[in-house]
Amino acid sequence: MSTAALDYTRELPVVEGSPTAAEVDATIAAPLDQFPSRMWWIIFSIALSFFSIGVFCIGMTLYKGLGLWGVNQPVSWGFDIVNFVFWVGIGHAGTLISAILFLLRQRWRTGIARFAEAMTIFAVMCAGLFPLLHTGREWLPMYLSPYPNQHGLWVNFTSPLLWDVFAVSTYFTVSLVFWYVGLIPDLATLRDRTTNKIKKVIYSLFSLGWRHSNRHWQHYERAYLILAGFATPLVLSVHTIVSFDFAVSVIPGWHTTIFPPYFVAGAVFSGFAMVQNVLIFVRQAFNLKHIITLDHLEKMNKVMILTGSMVGYAYAMEMFIAWYGGNQFERFVFLNRALGPYAWAYWTMVSCNVIFPQLFWFKKIRRSIPAMFIIGITVNIGMWFERFVIIVTSLSRDFLPSSWGHYTPTFYDVGILLGSFGLFFTLILIFVRVLPVVSISELKAVIEGGQPSKH
Amino acid sequence: MSNESKYWKSLRELHDKDAVGELKAHEFMDGVTDDFKMSELSGMSRKQFLALLTASAAFAAAGCSNYRDRGEIVPYTRKPEEVTPGVPNFYASTCTGCEQSCGILVKTREGRPIKLDGNPDHPINQGKICATGQGSVLNLYDPNRLRGPEYGSSSGKSGTLTWKQADADITRLLDECAKTTKEIALVLHSVHSPTAAKVLSDVSAKYPTTRLYVYDLFNDANRRRAWQLSYGSTEIPSISWEKAKIVLALESDFLGTEGMTIEQVRRFTNGRDIMKSKDFNRLYCIEGAMSLTGANADYRLRLNPSQQLGLLLALINEIGLVRKKGSLKGTIPVQASGASLLQFANQHSLPVEVLNHLADDLSANVGRSIVLAGDVLPVEVHVAVNYLNEMLGNSALYEEKKSVSYSDHSTPSQLESLVARMKSGQVGVVVHVGTNPVFQLPKEFGYEEALKRVAVSISLVESTDETSRFCAYVLPANHALESWGDFNVRTGVYSFQQPVIAPLYDTRQKEAVLLSWIQGKDSFHETLYHEYLMTHWEKTIFPTLNRSVDFKSFWYASLHDGVVAASDHSTEPSRFKSDSLSTAIPVATDGYVIGLTRNFYISDGTFANNGWLQELPHPISKVVWDNYASISTRTAKELGVDNNDRVEISLPHGKQTVPVFIQPGQADGYVSIEMGYGRTNAGPIGSDVGVDVGGLLSKASIAGARVVPGAKIVKASGQYELVTTQEHHSLDDTFVKELHLKREIIREGTLRQYEKDPTFLHHEKKELFNIAHDVEYNGVKWAMSIDLNKCTGCNACVAGCNVENNIPVVGKEQVQRGREMQWIRLDRYYAGTPDNPSLSHQPMLCQHCDNAPCENVCPVVATNHSPDGLNQMVYNRCVGTKYCSNNCPYKVRRFNFFNWRDNLAEGYYEQEPISLMHNPEVTVRSRGVMEKCTFCVQRIADARQHATEQGRPLKGSDVKTACQEACPATAIVFGDMNDPKSDISLYRAHDLGYHVLEDTNARPNVTYLAKLRNIHSENLT
Amino acid sequence: MNEKHLFAVTALFDTPDEIIHAAHETTSAGYTRFDINTPYPVHGMDKAMGLKQSRLGVFALVFGLLGATSSVLFMTWVTLIDYPLVIGGKPFWSWPAFVPVAFEITVLLASVLSVVTMIVLYFKFPNNSHPLHDTPYMKKVSSNKFGICIQADDPTFNQKAVEEFLAKVGGKEIGPVFFDLEDLDHGQHIFDPKFIGVLALTAILVSGGTYFTFNKLLYMEPFSWMSAQAKLKAQRPSDLFTDGIGMRRPVEGTVARGFLPYPFKGKPDEAAKNLVNPLLPTKEVIDRGKTKFLTYCSPCHGNFARGDSRLAGQFPNPPTLHSDKVRNWPDGSIYHVITEGQNVMPSYASQISRDDRWAIIQYIRVLQRAHNAKESDLK
Repeated sequence: MSTAALDYTRELPVVEGSPTAAEVDATIAAPLDQFPSRMWWIIFSIALSFFSIGVFCIGMTLYKGLGLWGVNQPVSWGFDIVNFVFWVGIGHAGTLISAILFLLRQRWRTGIARFAEAMTIFAVMCAGLFPLLHTGREWLPMYLSPYPNQHGLWVNFTSPLLWDVFAVSTYFTVSLVFWYVGLIPDLATLRDRTTNKIKKVIYSLFSLGWRHSNRHWQHYERAYLILAGFATPLVLSVHTIVSFDFAVSVIPGWHTTIFPPYFVAGAVFSGFAMVQNVLIFVRQAFNLKHIITLDHLEKMNKVMILTGSMVGYAYAMEMFIAWYGGNQFERFVFLNRALGPYAWAYWTMVSCNVIFPQLFWFKKIRRSIPAMFIIGITVNIGMWFERFVIIVTSLSRDFLPSSWGHYTPTFYDVGILLGSFGLFFTLILIFVRVLPVVSISELKAVIEGGQPSKH
Repeated sequence: MSNESKYWKSLRELHDKDAVGELKAHEFMDGVTDDFKMSELSGMSRKQFLALLTASAAFAAAGCSNYRDRGEIVPYTRKPEEVTPGVPNFYASTCTGCEQSCGILVKTREGRPIKLDGNPDHPINQGKICATGQGSVLNLYDPNRLRGPEYGSSSGKSGTLTWKQADADITRLLDECAKTTKEIALVLHSVHSPTAAKVLSDVSAKYPTTRLYVYDLFNDANRRRAWQLSYGSTEIPSISWEKAKIVLALESDFLGTEGMTIEQVRRFTNGRDIMKSKDFNRLYCIEGAMSLTGANADYRLRLNPSQQLGLLLALINEIGLVRKKGSLKGTIPVQASGASLLQFANQHSLPVEVLNHLADDLSANVGRSIVLAGDVLPVEVHVAVNYLNEMLGNSALYEEKKSVSYSDHSTPSQLESLVARMKSGQVGVVVHVGTNPVFQLPKEFGYEEALKRVAVSISLVESTDETSRFCAYVLPANHALESWGDFNVRTGVYSFQQPVIAPLYDTRQKEAVLLSWIQGKDSFHETLYHEYLMTHWEKTIFPTLNRSVDFKSFWYASLHDGVVAASDHSTEPSRFKSDSLSTAIPVATDGYVIGLTRNFYISDGTFANNGWLQELPHPISKVVWDNYASISTRTAKELGVDNNDRVEISLPHGKQTVPVFIQPGQADGYVSIEMGYGRTNAGPIGSDVGVDVGGLLSKASIAGARVVPGAKIVKASGQYELVTTQEHHSLDDTFVKELHLKREIIREGTLRQYEKDPTFLHHEKKELFNIAHDVEYNGVKWAMSIDLNKCTGCNACVAGCNVENNIPVVGKEQVQRGREMQWIRLDRYYAGTPDNPSLSHQPMLCQHCDNAPCENVCPVVATNHSPDGLNQMVYNRCVGTKYCSNNCPYKVRRFNFFNWRDNLAEGYYEQEPISLMHNPEVTVRSRGVMEKCTFCVQRIADARQHATEQGRPLKGSDVKTACQEACPATAIVFGDMNDPKSDISLYRAHDLGYHVLEDTNARPNVTYLAKLRNIHSENLT
Repeated sequence: MNEKHLFAVTALFDTPDEIIHAAHETTSAGYTRFDINTPYPVHGMDKAMGLKQSRLGVFALVFGLLGATSSVLFMTWVTLIDYPLVIGGKPFWSWPAFVPVAFEITVLLASVLSVVTMIVLYFKFPNNSHPLHDTPYMKKVSSNKFGICIQADDPTFNQKAVEEFLAKVGGKEIGPVFFDLEDLDHGQHIFDPKFIGVLALTAILVSGGTYFTFNKLLYMEPFSWMSAQAKLKAQRPSDLFTDGIGMRRPVEGTVARGFLPYPFKGKPDEAAKNLVNPLLPTKEVIDRGKTKFLTYCSPCHGNFARGDSRLAGQFPNPPTLHSDKVRNWPDGSIYHVITEGQNVMPSYASQISRDDRWAIIQYIRVLQRAHNAKESDLK
């Protein structure tokens, strides 16, 4: 389809061309049946080696202590929490696409939802790593669960970190369930397709005896709706609660009511950028260009303009409130962000998050794969720096000038960040090989002629 | 109920007698005895069974012991009367950290010293000691200590030897010397002990070829010589600080490093106690390097120390001739007449109005002011100061009590001849009695080379040092806490030293070693010096005291109190020789002026291996673990250097490369460097810390001025990272300038302003509200107040807290990363210009906020509020999210990023002796745990326990925190704020009281009293 | 050899329109035990099959409410009843802070339990077996065909009639599906030994792993629980000293604060002469003396100092303190005996503090007086 012929007033077909249901099966199941290509192995080993750097750094951290990192007084949170918020943010796209776009009846989500959901789960796994690691005594995570210790002491329900524990674990669980529920019919289809006995056993086990029975479909659709209904506020709540980590504190630059919406927008922003980036490769590698179409990518880019502008608005509003609010600490923090020792990080953030995504207003750029890929990457860099700026600059210069400090990351900080990317891509690479990256049953339902004509 | 069962154990027994009878008959419950039939029991006896059980338990324990044994207890077989396990004892003793010889109270637990504090009965230091004294307990447990006699390198042998062998060898050698009339040289620090002086004279008597050489790296020889010139005596009287309304300090850091600092700080700050009087004294400080005195001065002018004489002459002229004030009978010296103050001011760009104020104040306070000159200044300046004081009638402030010395410092020529004789083989034996001349004597002497030529050299030291490296015998000496002694540094004040623990290792007291040599073979026994001391007192000193009690009672009572007050020698008041000044004239010099100054905490290098002291931030620069060349911004520009650059300083007798630190308030052209650093053989902690500038010391300076003009300085290659605990913010940068004042962290005013309007601090009423009701605290609620008028910034509180609370040492590299662990710190802020900054100190510790922001955010309630208002920290509940630290507006929380004891110098502080030093009442925190000031909760608990024992309610005055106990200025007050009559309530309600960062509504419980500067104008600046 | 039973008759269709039509027809033909199998949900099928709405929503509501109320009640109980703590100066019951946790629990319970309900209640998990599995019919409806399956247990089932009916509505590949009797099982399998076995195995692995983690792994170096402390508490051993004892004896000849050495060692006469009881016989002092007397003295001297103790006969009998000798002793003598001991009696100096000794003496004087009360004492 040529760019010039696009007509935005008409709803676009979800799938380009009209593949039959059998073709859909074949296309989507293809990667699962073939032995991985050399390219896959190369990428996989790169991802795995990144992951092992991370494992090494984590091991050393467990053995020696957090001193290996760059954190100090006053900057007690550094890469750890930056990465945590970053990955949780990435993890927002999946459930947003699955749940909110599902409720909004956006049929174009079908091509990308499954993949995005998987990314959510992997991103939340990466994210979950950091709160565990960042505690000084990593061997005591059970202290964070609400049980009375030997002195009858419970957890603190007023602490945002505790809310985080509940929010992230709930988010992870619900996302996993959501994802799995979506997979059940596909696993049944795969079960009925496969000739490999071991695969058959596994698929049979996990498809829970699914028979495509309409008496089941009825409950299944209802369950899916319920999940979508719950996941929608959940997805908004997670980054809201993560933002409370900062908003609830008293530190100037953190103590801000604008954080919840601003964080959610930023999360969606970075999540979409990451999904877009990875999908560009997946559709290329697995011949899914007609299923994950350029239109899909373009729509994601549009979401990025919207959320990117929201983020930009939030930056401006923070500055304005700091000035208008008249609190000298607040004013100083924002001036310090823009002009202080970490100004480079601030301006990286602003240019990556606010300026570059505005290029998506141009249709040519919006529909150009290389351009959108680069902008997607800058968005993720920018969003990573946003968290860096919020966390590090606010902490490094807070109330008492006597205790100002500087944060410099160490090899271990970088190593664990790389390791988290390694983990993420390792999981994604495994995922694309063992499970259908696009929902087969949903896709069949939306190809042309997939539904009764009268309905 | 039958009559028999009068007493019953349970209701069941009372009512159901039969059942109980049955139970009693069987003794064991049903089911227990069922399987318990004697006939079926194995033949194993109970003992055998127990033996097997023990054996198998031991095997099991050995086989799978995941964690260390936590159960073993070893009680006393015969408990000493005074020791109760778990209850501390206190021993009066004397600190030997420096020549002040403060009286101390040693806190021991189960016979092990764990903390030192001042002895409240001691008339000079009155219950306070300095940071070095506080930290010196670490030296007792320093793993680097010698544990037995060793052969040194020049003996040609290696390894250890026994004392017996050493004694035999040495007495033989000494006898040989006596026969061959070769010299026996004893190298000592100055002697303050009458009995030690007796030992030395005994040694000289036995071995007539003995010569004593006495030196101190830091000394007041110039002052003494000037006193000799002016008054004909080297005994310097103490000063009635209370009467001094005006104090003029010329390069004299009397609040920091010079003289009897503890006494001076106490008596000086007493004159700035807003609770007592608004009539503050006024401190002028004219100096080249920013000192603690300068930091606390009302007026501080910077002046190159080489110009001090000119200033003094101008002042003498101004007051004596121009204003015709003062009561000096005699002539104004020639060179002073015509030295115009105005001209001097213009010449050295000093503010004329301040000098005029000074001249006014001095003239108006005849007999009520004091002028002081620093130890580094030459004799002429001291003489001029004496002259000025005499002229102003300030000799009225000289007290009858005078300094006492049992030894004279050797002159440079004496030391020179020692070195020469050592080289020529005329010295048979050289004994270093706790001295380290290779490091401490000016390198110009060439002592190291000479030492290598001496046949027999002996080092009697606690741990190996630069000198012992070249000695034949390295003999381990007792630590002060293992030693007996007596001290007398001021007329009429004797202070006792008693050991609080038997020697940890195979060590002997220095005096006892000398005694055993002169008393002959195998004469040493544990109580040798103890007995000698007692005998000396009984025979010599006690009779002069005219006491009515018997000696035994006197002796025990004196040991108990730690001090003996004797009646003063009725010496004639010294007569001033007004002609002493006549020859001195200021000379113009070119080149840079180098000042080699005394460091704050590690003394002459003795405490180099003491991590606590190395890590105490320099009170002014906040640099840790280093010395450096302080230069002014202008000098830096001239040299083209910045912080962390290195410069090469050349003097005729030596040169040295030193890192540079740009110090606001430093005089242009003046470079000051602290000595005592740069030791090369001090142990794993202290070696290679800082730079040894002994090469810059001239021979003459060992007994003279340590201000050396005529230095050439060039920028050297390379960088050297100096580490500070506080970021250095440019004073020029308007972005960050004076934020501490804008943010009302430091609040200051002037005395005049306060006199006019006592409530000037609280004109802007801020309304803070809570959406919820405040928590109510009934009973005791703890609070602290800190009087910024009295706080000098000396760090004694930090050192005291370190010892009390088992604070770990983290090392330079970790401080650089911002991970220092001290619970209380002294924040230093500059205001004004880099040339003439005004300094503010603020002790900052956990504020124990009522609405503590740290508490809300802890997910595991590891930090919460106690019913007596403490923000408490439950260490073992802490998982280490560090969120509390982030959310603390005061940034007073400290995190164990590593197991610090393991991390530093390959686990240096994880060795066994260190664990003996730790306060048993305070948890030793592991890695991953957040910690902070607890208001010494262990002391509160202790006091509460005592109160409960005595059946009375706990009072606020029962508790003294470690920092409060340490503060020489008594700036810290602690107590129960719910008690309206307590001191703390008065301080909290005081007009000058304020809380830091009130806006956050954290409601801190530490009240600061705003600093009032006693200047002539009503407004600051 | 298993007997083959007829399970159902199936037919396949090519388009969604056809299957909707077929579903309509089947419903109107009165079949109730039938099912439609489609590779994806076909719109309008519920209506065509005459199915009632799924009740899953009701479950979700119940679970959600359960989550909300239980979490709020739990937090209330913890912060208000079980362990109230002042945290940051906030009231114990800081309900606004409960909102996030309550919300998360609500969502968690509602969504996860709804899915579990669906799987267990409607899909009859863990019962995965069904006659349709592994049939060619299933393979096709799994991919691209739409199938109808009329079961043999339908009340109006007749194989022939059904096949004809299906052919009439346009079904293709009409055919029967059989099942083995053994496999016939519509019940719940939650109590199936295999399933329970799997659960048990999981439980063992999880608990074993947990046990290992919590009891072994976490106690290994370098993890610290701060139980081993680098400090020496009272009565602990220390390797630094050759005798291994951490508690040291004070150095001979030193004087601790408050512990001036006893000056009358071995000089009872001087003690008698020079020592004066510093305490007055107030009620507090006597009470304190009584406590200490009963603790330290009574085992030998008896509760009333009559020398009639419970240890009588085991040692040389301790003397009564009511003898004239002791009654006429000055306080200093008693003090000396307590401090130094006498004959068999050891020194009590390290057990009884100096003040307590004087208090005991006051109490002994009270006992002596009571034992030898004079007429005048009654007044």
